[in-house]
Amino acid sequence: MAELIGGLLVLAGAVFHLSAGLGILRMPDAYTRMQAGTKASTLGNTLVVGGIGFLHPDWTLKLLLVIYFVLMTNPISSHALARAAHRIQVPMSRRTTVDALRQAREQSRDGT
Amino acid sequence: MIRRLAIVLVLALFGLVFASLTVHHVERHSLPPLGKRYVELVPQELGAANVITGILLTYRAFDTLGEIAVLFMVAAAVGLVLGRRERRDLPRDAPQPPRPASEIVRTGAQILVPLIAIFAAYIIANGHLSAGGGFQGGAVVASSAVLLLLAAPSRQLDQQLLSSTESTAGVLFVLVGVAGTIFASGFLDNRLLPLGQFGSLFSAGAMPVLSVLLGVKVGCELSVIIDRFRS
Repeated sequence: MAELIGGLLVLAGAVFHLSAGLGILRMPDAYTRMQAGTKASTLGNTLVVGGIGFLHPDWTLKLLLVIYFVLMTNPISSHALARAAHRIQVPMSRRTTVDALRQAREQSRDGT
Repeated sequence: MIRRLAIVLVLALFGLVFASLTVHHVERHSLPPLGKRYVELVPQELGAANVITGILLTYRAFDTLGEIAVLFMVAAAVGLVLGRRERRDLPRDAPQPPRPASEIVRTGAQILVPLIAIFAAYIIANGHLSAGGGFQGGAVVASSAVLLLLAAPSRQLDQQLLSSTESTAGVLFVLVGVAGTIFASGFLDNRLLPLGQFGSLFSAGAMPVLSVLLGVKVGCELSVIIDRFRS
């Protein structure tokens, strides 16, 4: 039973990883690509590692550490990359209509 | 159209290469004679659970010393190429203050750097027991240095301190090797210290010492290289 659950979790994680790869290929600009790569791969990694936890219960502590580490690092790194891209004005897709970061920056500049 | 065709062609060629790899692959059911000898000898003679580290730090330790020397030369060359230009091109009196990192990165670094450092220490200390060792652990140390520099871009690494630490580690590595020729049976022989209980943290003679020295040296070297690339 645990083997089945673990296998299914790993499979689900693999599907999310696949969607992350597709997103990186298909998304129109740097920001959306970053978002696809980070979000889907964070969830995919969590699912895969969780599934391995079901298959090998004695590794649980180490696997939890791995999940914690990826949950910490993946969003931070994508945030830093996106912020740097925004700062050097990497163009957005034409279909993007809202740039909340620039609006906030302009507002704070007007305020002071 | 031609581009599409070329892509399909390249993909087909790749497929051919990988297919031939998988078709002709025969799984080996026994080790080759040399490998078998190593697998038997390392736990028996050297008392190390990790055969690869046993080979790297005793039988082939002289090669490892050469690898460290190569890394040292790389660091020196990077310093030669990148260090000069910085001094000439940028006027000293008008330094550009680097943009501060965002709060998320700074907070993340505060949480992650200790974790990464602990992980590096674990990898280095377990080199003779499980996968890992000085080189890998040193690379992890350098990655925590990268995170520190990302979180505080205006911080200057103390290159003098790093260089002297690295040189000291290298000299100690060679000294351990020389001690091997005097107290044991050859250069970098790990049996100059007692082998201890097989599989425990303090075992395999001088191997943990060599691992730690390697880790310190590689970590310092890579940190210096990264710091040089930053400017």
